[in-house]
Amino acid sequence: MQKYWHDYFVRNGKALGIGLLIAVLFWVVVLVIMPQVFMVDFSLRANVPPPEWGTDSHFYTMEHYQYMLYGSANASGTYNVVDLSVFGRTILAAIFVTLIDLALCYPVAYYLAHVAKGGWARLMVLSLIIPFWVNELLRAFSFKIMFGSSGVINNFLVWIGILDQPYDFIHEGVALYAGLSYAYILLMIFPIYNAIESLDKNQIEAAKDMGAGTIKTHLRVVIPHAKPGISSGATMVFMLSLGALAAPQILGGPSSLWFTQIIYQAFNNAGNWARGSAYAIVLLITSIIFVLLVMKFFKVKFGDIAK
Amino acid sequence: MTSERVRKFFTLLFVLGFFAYLFGPLIVMGLTAFNSSAFPRVSPWECFTAEWFSVLVNDEKLIEGLRNSVFISLGVVALSVPLGLAGALMLSQVKDRIRPWYYTIVISPILVPGVVLGISTLLFWDRIGSMFGATRDSFFYNGYFLTIMGHATFISAYTMLIFISRLQRFDSVQEEAALDLGATHVQTFRKILLPFLKPAIGSAAVLAFLASFENYNTTVFTILTESTITTFLAAKVRHGINPSVSALAVAIVVITLFGAALHEMLKRREIKAAKESEQIAKGNIKEHSNSIKRGFFAQPALYLILAVFVSGIASAYFAGTMGVGECKAQVKADKKKRVDELVRKQQQKAMFRDAARRAKEPVVKPVAPKIDKSSRPGVSSSFGNIYSTDNLGGLAGDSNKKKEPKKETPKAEPENTGGGGLFTPNNLKKQSGSE
Repeated sequence: MQKYWHDYFVRNGKALGIGLLIAVLFWVVVLVIMPQVFMVDFSLRANVPPPEWGTDSHFYTMEHYQYMLYGSANASGTYNVVDLSVFGRTILAAIFVTLIDLALCYPVAYYLAHVAKGGWARLMVLSLIIPFWVNELLRAFSFKIMFGSSGVINNFLVWIGILDQPYDFIHEGVALYAGLSYAYILLMIFPIYNAIESLDKNQIEAAKDMGAGTIKTHLRVVIPHAKPGISSGATMVFMLSLGALAAPQILGGPSSLWFTQIIYQAFNNAGNWARGSAYAIVLLITSIIFVLLVMKFFKVKFGDIAK
Repeated sequence: MTSERVRKFFTLLFVLGFFAYLFGPLIVMGLTAFNSSAFPRVSPWECFTAEWFSVLVNDEKLIEGLRNSVFISLGVVALSVPLGLAGALMLSQVKDRIRPWYYTIVISPILVPGVVLGISTLLFWDRIGSMFGATRDSFFYNGYFLTIMGHATFISAYTMLIFISRLQRFDSVQEEAALDLGATHVQTFRKILLPFLKPAIGSAAVLAFLASFENYNTTVFTILTESTITTFLAAKVRHGINPSVSALAVAIVVITLFGAALHEMLKRREIKAAKESEQIAKGNIKEHSNSIKRGFFAQPALYLILAVFVSGIASAYFAGTMGVGECKAQVKADKKKRVDELVRKQQQKAMFRDAARRAKEPVVKPVAPKIDKSSRPGVSSSFGNIYSTDNLGGLAGDSNKKKEPKKETPKAEPENTGGGGLFTPNNLKKQSGSE
């Protein structure tokens, strides 16, 4: 160990070595690890006003996690249907959004990488970036305009006579799913595009020459090659959908509450920071489990996902 | 090979549909920024106007949020570029056994939900502050400070990734040579490593700025009582929307396109210069071509792009300010005319009905005078409150889906059995459309 530090300072010099060490320690300890530790600690304590923090009344308790499962103590015996169903629905919806994006992006990524040619393909790839620069909130806002009761889609459907009267897309959650899929579509398409682009065209040709149909070529040649891209894109889209706050706030109807909104309410409306952080930890653990599952099933490394 | 052709056709259709999905909402939003309707929409189109842009720049809260956002983003750049660089330099130096753990820890903030990062940052500094007995006005409870810390947590990971990919191409022999020749470590760092990393520092700074500038999920928890552009936008979009938000989006897209064009020019120039340098080194040509020698600001293309943007903005401005008043008055008059027309038809219908009723049971008093033309129309009519005064005034709210009589005509059609609205063009269109 001593030899390691000795080598370290020989390699970097004293001033730089110390500077480097301080910067990395600050980042890792003060910014990344300690806040999470404090959040876990905080979530395990009673909900008391700030002046009493650290005193005896700020004792350790599991009540906030119990609350998520069983609701308030008065209504013991039954499950906390509201919060649990929001939690379950958020996970399902995030998976749904991920699948939509995958279904949309895979064909387009393949088209851009191997079918489209020359400057046209380059222009299309460049133009993909433009919506990415528009703020997430504004993208959600544009969907509110599109799907509102006097929005473009309703006006069009009424005009051509499919609908008698405007359909409430926002209340039914259609706007939310469309908006979320839209918001993170580029995080799906670029990893897949990069992965497919590196596939040698001759491999596709060879598969075709040997008699494989289109579907078989994709299943056996293209998709296995694009697997790191697909898993990376799927993870990013899932995580961001799960943790999305802006789009559900703007596009969510009253019946489609998002789990992050419950956390937000615990902090900003209910003033119950402890419960909010307990729920945030549930969210964090869910995310970690999902990443581990993806790593296991797709057999990819952590570094490949977070690129 | 018709099946091949059909497949190609559908593939193309899919790709076009994808791009329509990608750009449609943005284009529609852009158009709503120029419609004088107080509710952001494109149909019905009222008047082409630039007024929402002036609403935007006169919004003090927006300007304040913008200023705060710029301040915070600059703070994040100042913090996360060095942190990311340190993290990247450290990666190759930690022990092999620890490296995967180290990498996982520093990269994990990218995958942690922004909400969680915001909350943990807030709680951490709050607890630390109370441990030191800091007062409420100290920096522990300062929205700017907390937001910069929260952002730096994950943005440093972004910048680190940029530095890692640049460092992979670094030849450490250069450093060794400098050290052998007697340079100190600091000198080597400044004269060898930093110049090599200069492009990476540039892109890391730009990325850090943008990522911080448009972050919402973390900011909303750490900003406390202050406001940034994103929290301002969120509040604005959630409570009562109006087209000035669209105008902001248009401004952002225009600035982005301008930046992208400049970036593309710069990149092409760099590539060209590099190619020429290579040729010079080989001795094929003597010196750089004129376009490179004259410098970046002497390019005609630069001024062409500038001219296109400036003239575009200027023409939109003039078209959006000239004659808007008359157009609006015209739209208002048209609207009133159409409403009057509908009211008249409604009255006629009521009269028909009365006549029929009177024929059946003559005892009932005539009701017609109740709905004479001067009275507030429609309050008791079967149309709901489409004709209420609010709707005439053109004030917006979420409920103004019923504002436009033209749209309501088809809806009302089944009721107009007396032949009232049968001959309006909309109904004809609708009938022919449904066949």
